[in-house]
Amino acid sequence: MSAVVLKDIYKRFGAVQVVHGINLDVAAHEFVVLVGPSGCGKSTTLRMIAGLEEISEGSLTIDDRAMNRVAPKDRDVAMVFQNYALYPHLNVADNIAFGLRIRRMKKDVIARSIIEVAEILGLTEYLDRRPADLSGGQRQRVAMGRAIVRHPKVFLFDEPLSNLDAKLRAQMRAEIRRLHNRLGVTSIYVTHDQVEAMTLADRIVVMNDGRIEQVGTPMDLFMNPVSTFVAGFIGSPPMNQFTGTLESDAEGASVTIGGARISLPDTVPSDPGRDVIIGIRPEYVSLAAGEASSPVAIKLDLVEPLGSEALLHAAIGEDPFIIKAETFGDVSHLSGLTEVHVPAAMVKVFDAATGRVLNRAAG
Amino acid sequence: MTDLPASSAGSATGVSEPATRATEKPMRERLVRLADHFKREWQIYVMLAPMIIWFLLFLYKPMYGLQIAFKDYSIFRGIVESPWVGWEHFETLFNNSQFLRAVKNTVIISALSLIFGFPVPIFLALMFNEILHALYRRTCQTIVYLPHFISTVIIAGIVITAFSPSAGIVNTIIGWLGIEPVYFLTKPEWFRPIFIGSGIWQEAGFSSIIFLAAIAGVNPSLYESAVVDGASRWQMMWKITIPSIMPTIIIMLIIRIGNLMEVGFELIILLYQPATYQTADVINTFIYRQGLQSGQYDLAAAAGLFNAVVAFVLVMTANSISKRVSRTSLW
Repeated sequence: MSAVVLKDIYKRFGAVQVVHGINLDVAAHEFVVLVGPSGCGKSTTLRMIAGLEEISEGSLTIDDRAMNRVAPKDRDVAMVFQNYALYPHLNVADNIAFGLRIRRMKKDVIARSIIEVAEILGLTEYLDRRPADLSGGQRQRVAMGRAIVRHPKVFLFDEPLSNLDAKLRAQMRAEIRRLHNRLGVTSIYVTHDQVEAMTLADRIVVMNDGRIEQVGTPMDLFMNPVSTFVAGFIGSPPMNQFTGTLESDAEGASVTIGGARISLPDTVPSDPGRDVIIGIRPEYVSLAAGEASSPVAIKLDLVEPLGSEALLHAAIGEDPFIIKAETFGDVSHLSGLTEVHVPAAMVKVFDAATGRVLNRAAG
Repeated sequence: MTDLPASSAGSATGVSEPATRATEKPMRERLVRLADHFKREWQIYVMLAPMIIWFLLFLYKPMYGLQIAFKDYSIFRGIVESPWVGWEHFETLFNNSQFLRAVKNTVIISALSLIFGFPVPIFLALMFNEILHALYRRTCQTIVYLPHFISTVIIAGIVITAFSPSAGIVNTIIGWLGIEPVYFLTKPEWFRPIFIGSGIWQEAGFSSIIFLAAIAGVNPSLYESAVVDGASRWQMMWKITIPSIMPTIIIMLIIRIGNLMEVGFELIILLYQPATYQTADVINTFIYRQGLQSGQYDLAAAAGLFNAVVAFVLVMTANSISKRVSRTSLW
């Protein structure tokens, strides 16, 4: 059963249309992440689900109940905001209890709920403190506490970690996922950080310019991006992309990039002369020759050691080429590197005109 | 007295010396930092200079003249040559029933203005914030801001006309109700309500701007979060808007308490008459009559100094109470 269903959702601000007919089914207990660059409409979509923005066209249902005309308070959703939206004049306990007091719940129920939530989130010793006296991570936890105390049907997260530093973000990311595993509440999470999306989501929705580009599991999106946009957005560093022309001979389809002939997988339709973009993940480039891989001459520019791995900044012809290589801490042998190998099976091919993938099933 | 052994004496000075050095060093460091800052940001100090000069010339330099409150001042002998008389003028003041009446009236009018006048701009700002129709809101704001820009003399003229026993709108209305006309401005019991009411009418709208600005500064996410939590507009006003602007309210209250002894005397001078002195004469009108009309500058200076000291004590007290109770203060 789908917990949240968006059907042909449009959003217009005056004459400007920012969301162009979104269709999405979020299953009960699922953790879905909306990801995309700034201005792609992900936060607007989330706010429409919350009821903070009116839906211009289309229908929204939560648990099979039409929500377009339902007030936010009656949608049984809870939202965690980017800037936490904590009431500065209230202490942690009162912030957590705010929604319950608004709903005139009994005092003893409220008190029990505060203690329960504080224990879940490790806030017990901070209940008397005001938000100004808390660290960023603690404030974030209070914001989550305010959401979970109401036991809503759906959690909505609007870039809740973007105000935290990198270390805390990683820590809170894990806490959010653990919390979801524990509570099992349907969650829709907005972020522009693809690492957050990859690590948190059951399914990722990649949005671009008010439209959904692709919906899938993190690994599906990583392995089988449907467009150059998704290929460039998912993965860190992003997929290398080169423009070229399809060639075909007895050995199969190929594209010549910077003088190097790169073999393509069998799943690429034979269409010699077609302008294409080929995508090669930095992780799938091999330093050693392998079966069905194409040797490619590179000009190595820079080696960035990352511990057990290294990022190699190189070029094929004039085109930049990034390689992620396992080094186990030793990068000394990389300085003289002039050739790498690209396995044909790992090459994605996109139509140059539309940016859509031509070998969807491969990988 | 026992002489300290040399070692003890040494240690005694040894304790104080580093302490002195410790205070000297940060002071020197601070001066060096200030000099560096001045060199780097001299443009800011240049921009600040006119204001500082204005303060020095018009607020600090006149303080030199305060000493005449303790002298038998004569404009022919000047401030320096006039002989000292100590607290004589203050004794005269506190034995003067007119001054004591002025103090009492000042306190009563100020307190009533504070009680009735202070909440009105807050209320107006909250109401403006609730009006969603932009044109309607702007129209309402213009209507309530307008009296602020009218000269006090014209305000007084409007008040005198409105309460006139022959053609005033107030007497016309009560005439319709079959009540005899009342010459309000000659009745001591009516002076305070009229003065306070006209003050509110003139200034409440304009004073609401500062609270509106504070409301505009409230994080919109707080309201959105409350909407999702199920709060009504009324609940949001009480539980978010008012607590969020409370620091501004407190700061404005402290400033207002500091000005408690400063009743807007221009309007009083324009509205009062000997028949209403009993309830209308305040310290500032007393100073005006004694200082300018009777030429008793030293006595007027003593009254002014008393006024300033009381205001200073009030603002310090309010600030310290506020700091302790609400964590909000002017300094």
